[in-house]
Amino acid sequence: MAQIFPKALNPIAKMIVLGLPLLAGATGVTGAAFYRSSYATGVGEIPPQPVAFSHAHHVGQLGIHCVYCHTSVESSGFANIPPTKTCMNCHQQIWQGADLLEPVRNSYKTNTPIEWNRVHNLPHYAYFNHSIHVAKGVGCVSCHGRLDQMNLTMQSSTLLMEWCIACHREPEKHLRPKEEVFNMRWDASMAGKNEATGKPYTQRELGLELKEKHRVRDAVTLTNCSMCHR
Amino acid sequence: MKPDITDSAANEPAAPPDKLWRGLDEFQGAPGYAEAALNEFPEGATELDEPSRRRFLTYMGASLALAGAAGCNLRPASQRKIIPYTTQPDELTPGVPLFFASAAPFAGYGRGVLVRSNEGRPTKIEGNPDHPSSLGGTDIHAQASVLDLYDPDRSRGVTQRGTPTSYEQAVAALRGKLFTGNNNANTALRVRVLTETVTSPTFAWQIGQFLNTFPNARWVQFDAVSTENARSGVKKAFGKSLNVTYDFLKADVVLSLDSDFLCSGPGAVRYSRDFADRRKIRAEGKDRAELEAGRQAGRSFKEGVKVDPKADPKDSLINRLYAVECMPTNTGAVADHRIALTTGQIGAFVRSLAAELKVPGVTGAGSWADAQVKWLQELAKDLLAKKGKSVVVAGDHLPAWVHTLVAAINSTLGNVGQTVKLTAPVEASVEGKMSDLRTLVNELNAKTVDVLLVLGDANPAYSAPADIDFAGAMREYHKDATKFSLHLGSHQDETAVLCDWHVNEAHYLETWGDIRGHDGTVAIQQPLIAPLHGGKSAIELFTTIMRSPEASVPGAPRDPFDIVKSTWQKADEVKKTFPNFPALPKAAAFEVFWQEAVRSGVVAGTAAVEEKAPALAANWSSDLAAGTGPAVAAGELELNFRPDPTLYDGRFANNGWLQELPKPLTKISWDNAAFVSPKTAEKLGVKAEARWTGGEHGRMEVNVIELTVKVKLADGKEEDRKVRAPAWILPGHADDAVTVHLGYGRTRAGDYVANAPGEKNAAGQDGVRGFNVYPLRTGSTWAVGAKAARVGAGAKSGSGAKYFLACTQGHWAMAEKDPISGKMLDRKPVRRGSLADYAKNPRFAKIPPMAAGETELINENVPLPKKHEKKSDHDHDHSHGAGEHEHDGRLIPLNMYKPAEGLVPDLRDAQRRRWALAIDLSACTGCSACVVACQSENNTPVVGKDQVTKGREMYWINIDRYYEGLEGNDPNAVKAYFQPRMCVQCENAPCEIVCPVGATVHSADGLNDMTYNRCVGTRYCSNNCPYKVRRFNFLTLQDWETDTIKLGRNPEVSVRSRGVMEKCTFCVQRIRGAEIVAEREGRPIRDGEILTACQSACPSGAIVFGDINDADAAVSKWKNEPSNYGLLAELNTRPRLTYTAVVRNPNPAMPK
Repeated sequence: MAQIFPKALNPIAKMIVLGLPLLAGATGVTGAAFYRSSYATGVGEIPPQPVAFSHAHHVGQLGIHCVYCHTSVESSGFANIPPTKTCMNCHQQIWQGADLLEPVRNSYKTNTPIEWNRVHNLPHYAYFNHSIHVAKGVGCVSCHGRLDQMNLTMQSSTLLMEWCIACHREPEKHLRPKEEVFNMRWDASMAGKNEATGKPYTQRELGLELKEKHRVRDAVTLTNCSMCHR
Repeated sequence: MKPDITDSAANEPAAPPDKLWRGLDEFQGAPGYAEAALNEFPEGATELDEPSRRRFLTYMGASLALAGAAGCNLRPASQRKIIPYTTQPDELTPGVPLFFASAAPFAGYGRGVLVRSNEGRPTKIEGNPDHPSSLGGTDIHAQASVLDLYDPDRSRGVTQRGTPTSYEQAVAALRGKLFTGNNNANTALRVRVLTETVTSPTFAWQIGQFLNTFPNARWVQFDAVSTENARSGVKKAFGKSLNVTYDFLKADVVLSLDSDFLCSGPGAVRYSRDFADRRKIRAEGKDRAELEAGRQAGRSFKEGVKVDPKADPKDSLINRLYAVECMPTNTGAVADHRIALTTGQIGAFVRSLAAELKVPGVTGAGSWADAQVKWLQELAKDLLAKKGKSVVVAGDHLPAWVHTLVAAINSTLGNVGQTVKLTAPVEASVEGKMSDLRTLVNELNAKTVDVLLVLGDANPAYSAPADIDFAGAMREYHKDATKFSLHLGSHQDETAVLCDWHVNEAHYLETWGDIRGHDGTVAIQQPLIAPLHGGKSAIELFTTIMRSPEASVPGAPRDPFDIVKSTWQKADEVKKTFPNFPALPKAAAFEVFWQEAVRSGVVAGTAAVEEKAPALAANWSSDLAAGTGPAVAAGELELNFRPDPTLYDGRFANNGWLQELPKPLTKISWDNAAFVSPKTAEKLGVKAEARWTGGEHGRMEVNVIELTVKVKLADGKEEDRKVRAPAWILPGHADDAVTVHLGYGRTRAGDYVANAPGEKNAAGQDGVRGFNVYPLRTGSTWAVGAKAARVGAGAKSGSGAKYFLACTQGHWAMAEKDPISGKMLDRKPVRRGSLADYAKNPRFAKIPPMAAGETELINENVPLPKKHEKKSDHDHDHSHGAGEHEHDGRLIPLNMYKPAEGLVPDLRDAQRRRWALAIDLSACTGCSACVVACQSENNTPVVGKDQVTKGREMYWINIDRYYEGLEGNDPNAVKAYFQPRMCVQCENAPCEIVCPVGATVHSADGLNDMTYNRCVGTRYCSNNCPYKVRRFNFLTLQDWETDTIKLGRNPEVSVRSRGVMEKCTFCVQRIRGAEIVAEREGRPIRDGEILTACQSACPSGAIVFGDINDADAAVSKWKNEPSNYGLLAELNTRPRLTYTAVVRNPNPAMPK
């Protein structure tokens, strides 16, 4: 019986043998890259909102403190979206006729809430708590980015579990003095001179000191499953 | 001795009689039991229902397609909305729950509760520590009341003859009847108001006003489960209506005469707490003087009592409980001595006891065996030795003359005023209840009523006795088109459909009200949510119809808040009912008082006034001679009626939690049954067979029996009424008697759980759950003579018609075979002893005989509280890490597990926590409040009867009820023990090492974390768990559709879906919540700051949670008690949950 495959196909067979693992690897790498891509995670996405609210204007230009609107960030797991009343505190006086603010006035008049589109969507099995992060010295900017420069609010972080865990393993990379938590422009160099080295603080040096001072727990504890999943 | 390998299990007796057992099949060594018990998931349990290849392929195809579709959305979380308030309420912080004080009504009485509100949704009921009927504990009904609020079958609107209409129209129609022209009351109008027992001062005052306005109106109260016998018995004894409460804290000896005082009745939660306090042995417990002082405001109250092993056991502070009962109850199960007698015999027993106690003018009755005479004499001696420190409690269903006699006994023993408190009645109107209903029905038939108002939980169309045909009378009444009737209720129930108008009632969490507890203390009920379906309370309805003429808008309701508040502003009125009510000089003072009353949930100075030195009335014994037991003819059995332990009189029939909850004693879920003793079952030829194959793990095939009662109807005719019921053989039940529970067989309870398509009841009715025994009752009878016969009886015992019951008593057995001998191991789950055993060796529970040689080593393997000197809060000592633990003598080397604390070498000492739980089995009464609390807190689904029979119920806590004894089927020989079993959070957790995906791993503080989103459902963990406490979601058991159910879920706990393993987490959401608050404030977590759901619900305070690194924590103290032991500790699992052994206090003089 004649052979099914002629000898000339041997190089192709070799290429297939060599190529398949490469292809599998490439698929894996592509998949992992895709999984982390902004397309998949939504980093940089700006969901449409019923009111074109600008953090850049309110925080960056006017300098309104985060807690003026997000009142529960220090006392609750949930950093609340301000009630319409908070908007109206100022907008009864200024820009009271602006078209842009029509949905806000309408909401206040008819007592129907404004339905915002959530920018940072966590899965339902992840129980993130704002208050403890703020209390331990994690700045708003560490997760939310430079809101003072955002005209429309966008998602700044991947919100992947590896992103959460990275900080829970090495919180020193993101800790800052408690009084600087809401400061959008802060970095470690503003913390002054490190007595030990005689040079300005690096984030790592300061972070390790603050980790001790703020009684941040160790990496093992912070990465326990039940810290976030209940 | 070396084990004999040739000794095969076949040569062994099936179950040695002294061993603990859970069901008769286990006791009798039923074929297949052992194999099934060894197999956690019985054969077929893991298959889909009706598996077939074709369907499997369909599923596969569908899931592939779905996987493809789901793949489009890569993100773990979908885009969601975020909706703030327009104006945020001041007291509310989004994400932080609030607690409001209220009171959960139950049969007219209230138990103080604190209700958790998450963003305005009531989600969980906790006990109110300030309320005397609660002291922080709750019961199953209070716990489950939150589900009633979200019941999707609640009535959602006002109807007239079934047609939707509006509240305004209903009120206008009613007012049109009541008032003529310019608001002149039509005084000739014969109005009848039908309610259940009312204790609410506001509502009582309103009814009083109503009756004044309409002189021809009458108020009728009807309770299917009435306390009428007790009321009239006590009235006869003391010459006036009185309320009886007990102080079990001061009682050394308690005799319960068919009374389940620990688990039923308005004071049960309080009584449980007081009773259990005298059962807990604590090294730092109370001595006699502290006990005498009792609970006092502002003073710490030590837990438990001291026991000196050397002292005379007669002077022990541990109390002693004797129980005489027909149907076993939880109270009887925890008694030190118990005998089973029929209701008729109990009457004779009380006479004989009274004679023995020298109660004047009483002679003994009944014929007793020698052992019983001795029993009675020793009991009498014990009672006489503890004069003034004993209590005799009689069950509400015993005849009135028994209550009179019991009152005389208590009086003779000097208990009245000491342990038995007599106070002014708590109910607004005490008098003649069943007779009033009888009169009402006669009037309805004669059409001499013009307007009928049925308000609240009274449902006479379902629950009226046979000789009071309320439903028939209603039909007769409405033949006259001019007659008016209005029903106010939560459901379109049996009574609602017979009335012209139906108004949907507001739940107690939706409206304002006030209600009195068992001792008369008033609690203000405040709403936590606006009425979901626009319901109204009875108080609102009355205000609307009685509004003063000057109110501008007809029918405009005043705010229910004002109505309740105004009651308490009328100081003079209030003083009439509450003489101790504080005098408030000014309006401003009232405001302060009112705020405090609403905040704390208790109105000061409203406890019923105690009767000063009450003496027996001169003619107290005049009814005694005529007092008889139920008439039981020859060839008949005594048929006893009891309220259902979970559904009560049937009002909770549509509550899934209470339907599925295994009955605290019988462990039957979703059904009622006719309970008979093994001997009586033999006579009737009925059998129960457990099906242990084909995926059925507790499907009990039982015989159906027909109960026939000769009922004397209202017209004097006698009729044989028949009911078919599944017969259940219950060890400990009195011989020659049958007990049936009220509350089942409802036809209009709601679609949610009462209907089960294709699941017929024992009588073959479709869509009716269980059987209804109200048609067998006449008046307020609790026991009658009845014929019982097996249905479809062949000559062979056990043949005939069958019915299947779901019974969980055999579920999740911790069965294991000795690999060498092949014998079933005795796991010694409940370790128990008498006070004498305790005195001899307080550490008796620590000795598992199977490994006596290694006792010390094993006991050391229970994680003990640390006894280290406290280090400063800020100390950060790196040397205090894994290194230290290598020298820890308690650990066994060559262990595949890492020591839990060694996991975190870098953690500060002050932040190191070792969470642990301890359960005192001496205090546990098996009431199951913890089970419902856990279900409510942890979003555990209701699975349905069919799934329960497959062993798929999802309870994280199982309360195991173990029996001991039953020699010769003697009902007096059986003892019972309760053991709540949940995940013990092993330090060396066998589940963790077998999980292929790391979904269950150890946390640094020693919790065995279960991560649902990682779980792929291999179930290896469950296979490897020796405690059998893991639960697998075989199907989508959660209700993902019903909107109202979603509102009631705890937002802090994931709702699990199909294919995920779950188990007790020690309420990790509460731990992490408290941790966050403490860490935020930079302080340690205080002892008692975290209460697990089961702990806070427990009425007897049998559960404690805390950090065993803190030597002063309550949990550490419990664990240092000598009788503390670890379940299956011999496996070296190092369980963090440990038990304190059962110590009972039997009377050594009693016959065996």
